[in-house]
Amino acid sequence: MQETLTTNEKPESNKKDVIDEGVEKGLARLTPEKISTVINQVLTKETGARFKVYVETCMRCGLCADACSIFLSNDRDPKLSPAGKVKQTILEMINKKGKVSKQLLKDVVRIAHTECNVCKKCSMYCPFGIDIAYMMTLVRRICHKLEITPLYIQDTVNSHSATMNQMWVKEDEWIDTLQWQEEDAREEFENLRIPLDKDGADIMYSVIAPEPKFQAGLIYQTAVIMHAAGLDWTMPSTPGWDNSNMAMFTGDFEISGRIARAHYETATKLHVKKIVMGECGHAFRSVYDVGNRWVGWAMPPVDLVHAIDFYHDLLTSGRIKVKEQYKKTVTLHDPCNVSRGRGLHNKAREIVNILCESFIEMTPNREHNYCCGAGGGVINCGPPWKGSRMINNREKKEQLERTGAQVLIAPCHNCHSGLEDIVHHYGLKMEIKFLGDIIFEVMEKTIYQKDS
Amino acid sequence: MINKKPWDWDSEKKEIPVKEWQERFNWVEELSVSPDGEKIASIVNLDEAQFSACVNGEIWEETFEKAWGLRFLSNGNLTALVCKDEEWTVCVNGSFWETRFDYIWDFQFSPDGSFMGAAVQKDGQYGMAVNDRMWDELYDNISGVVLSCQGTSAAIVQVEPLGQGDIEGFSRGIFSIAVDGIAQPEKFMNIWDLSFDSKGKQVASSIRKNRIDYSISKNSQAWEKNFQFAWKPEFINKDTSVIAPVRQGGKWFLFKDEAPFWDKSYEQFGQLAIHGDGKKIAAIVSDRYGKWTVSENDRTWALHCDSMISTLFYSDNGDSLVAVFKDQGFWDIAVNGKPWNLKADKLWNPIVSSNSEILATRMEKEGIFYLVVNGKVYQERFDMIFEPQISPDNDKILLKAMKNGIYLRQILTLDKVL
Ligand code: SF4
Ligand code: SF4
Repeated sequence: MQETLTTNEKPESNKKDVIDEGVEKGLARLTPEKISTVINQVLTKETGARFKVYVETCMRCGLCADACSIFLSNDRDPKLSPAGKVKQTILEMINKKGKVSKQLLKDVVRIAHTECNVCKKCSMYCPFGIDIAYMMTLVRRICHKLEITPLYIQDTVNSHSATMNQMWVKEDEWIDTLQWQEEDAREEFENLRIPLDKDGADIMYSVIAPEPKFQAGLIYQTAVIMHAAGLDWTMPSTPGWDNSNMAMFTGDFEISGRIARAHYETATKLHVKKIVMGECGHAFRSVYDVGNRWVGWAMPPVDLVHAIDFYHDLLTSGRIKVKEQYKKTVTLHDPCNVSRGRGLHNKAREIVNILCESFIEMTPNREHNYCCGAGGGVINCGPPWKGSRMINNREKKEQLERTGAQVLIAPCHNCHSGLEDIVHHYGLKMEIKFLGDIIFEVMEKTIYQKDS
Repeated sequence: MINKKPWDWDSEKKEIPVKEWQERFNWVEELSVSPDGEKIASIVNLDEAQFSACVNGEIWEETFEKAWGLRFLSNGNLTALVCKDEEWTVCVNGSFWETRFDYIWDFQFSPDGSFMGAAVQKDGQYGMAVNDRMWDELYDNISGVVLSCQGTSAAIVQVEPLGQGDIEGFSRGIFSIAVDGIAQPEKFMNIWDLSFDSKGKQVASSIRKNRIDYSISKNSQAWEKNFQFAWKPEFINKDTSVIAPVRQGGKWFLFKDEAPFWDKSYEQFGQLAIHGDGKKIAAIVSDRYGKWTVSENDRTWALHCDSMISTLFYSDNGDSLVAVFKDQGFWDIAVNGKPWNLKADKLWNPIVSSNSEILATRMEKEGIFYLVVNGKVYQERFDMIFEPQISPDNDKILLKAMKNGIYLRQILTLDKVL
């Protein structure tokens, strides 16, 4: 899509005019009866004490507002404060007993899917810990049931449901890609392998579908890292290899659960000790917190290790050694789902300090970091919403710019894509890298020997 | 079933050195052992893009550009998916299938090994091939392939084109079930979990009718009743009935032919296990959030675990209901509700003797492999153990293991193990 926005453009300029075909067609089909039935069903049958407490406790104090980079990016527009978003969506629905207009629903879709990253930062600032992300997910659930979810993310969820991966990757394309990467990676080690379906391997490595689709080089890099570290690992040839989950973000909890179950059943069939997953934050949230719980697994039934934890272990145990530190100045973006969601921010810093000569913190950071602006399925709503997303990411752009770093490390796929958009849109002079990119660049390409 | 009588149940120990393969070849891939334990094989690399299979030290005459999925079938045939002259096919004991494909995967075989099937792709079209014969009709996409004991094949196929981002088209239903290549007329928004009946004639599946209504289909006919979700169905009662876990009002139930079958509701369901055509039915269930157990004919075991139950099955005579489960971070086995307390890091499904009295399996604990029989851990330590076997007289165990680079085939009398 052609970018036409500038930094000086008024925040309100285009947001309400966005035409999303999925939303428009869905709205056209709705009747007043259907709208009120679905809203009341979700609000009464799919919520409990938690929802009631949130609705009754919020005193509109606004303490949550400054947490939200979307609010800050829009000249502190109260409508974009966390509590403001609840007021315009859930509270309207409750007050009108579900009898809301299609115009309101159109705003509701926009607010819940594109003006909230369900990043959970605001709940840290609310004196009552009110979880606005939960409230926005509930709104998305209503939209899902009304079939007015934005088109691009709905297509992604359709792919998940049919293929168990988010990018319509066909079963043979997946295996073929792994075999092709294995062959290419023999440039680095002549006997390197990506063992497929190795029964009883210690580790199953899982990725998100954009890797085989567009970024197969990341699988190559991981294979080199695994091989050099001398690990007993495998990748599955069957569906269940994709750990991502956009259904969790559209409120399609049923498909979300099926995806998570497929992932863990795949690992269990291979009798692995643990799953190591690539650098993705939302996928971690799905398999560690959301999808697994819908299936009834209170905790991951197979140990689940995010790439940050994994790299930290490789680098601190000496399985991977740094030949020469990375020279360019780097800064680190903390992905919400693994910093606020899992507390991996300090380990990420330790990794960066091992790998790089010059690390510049961005502010705020760690669990207080701003979302990349893409998270929570927002970027997955696709091109129609990109312009407004760029406006909503002004604060993030300024935060990045203040660091003056040459390289921005983002250990998350969603963040990566969102930050790429910001960097291009605002013309920032920053390269964006995964931790794996830098490890691959600076590591000693020798095979770890236990006694060495 | 496989006749184990002719196997060598007398030689106490046979050895095949495998470590030296590492010197002979550029690399040696995963090892696979024949059911009778007489052969050990691996895909090996001979040169750049030149692979073969090494069986007891001898390599197949044929070489391939690529090869994967090497495995012995229950009848002792050694199979692999191989690429030669940029075409893929199946190689059985060193001989190729005649039919060639652009890709082949998800290889399956019938319990006696007489039928072999796989998903295949040719010229961008998808189908299945069974015993060297490809479906006559191919489709835009395929998933969830299954092969029955009788060699019939079925899969979920895409029967309508779908443009990029076409969510309207998707909602109209583009998937159907193809049996032996023939797509059934009904289309659904989603189809999962294909399940053959005992004769390999009928197919049941879980389906999604629209954005929010899920159900079960039998021979492509959807149940009228809709649910909030459904898992894999199974045939019972001489294949006249279908049972399936379904979700209603936020709870899970076991339904039979559109009507409630078990009285109790559960938090969640896993896999079903059936014996005697439905006389005994069991299911992996969660009856409290985060706690898993087994329900047999709607009565739950006292035993619960906090992680998962991965497998549930009946022994052939139905006397033993076996669950492989994980609790507090470790794997274990329970037979009729009684745990073995193995505390394993990795644990495989046990094989069960014809009289249900002996169960044998292997586990890994702190990097060391052990043979386990009836819950008793045989103390000899191994670097790796392959699936053990029980003698036809139920008095001996065939142990197949790796130790210090040597493959060992051992016959252990039960009294030695227990
Ligand atoms: S969850 Fe994040 S994006 Fe949504 S309102 Fe709160 S701080 Fe803003
Ligand atoms: S900080 Fe909490 S109580 Fe205050 S407005 Fe925000 S959500 Fe409501």
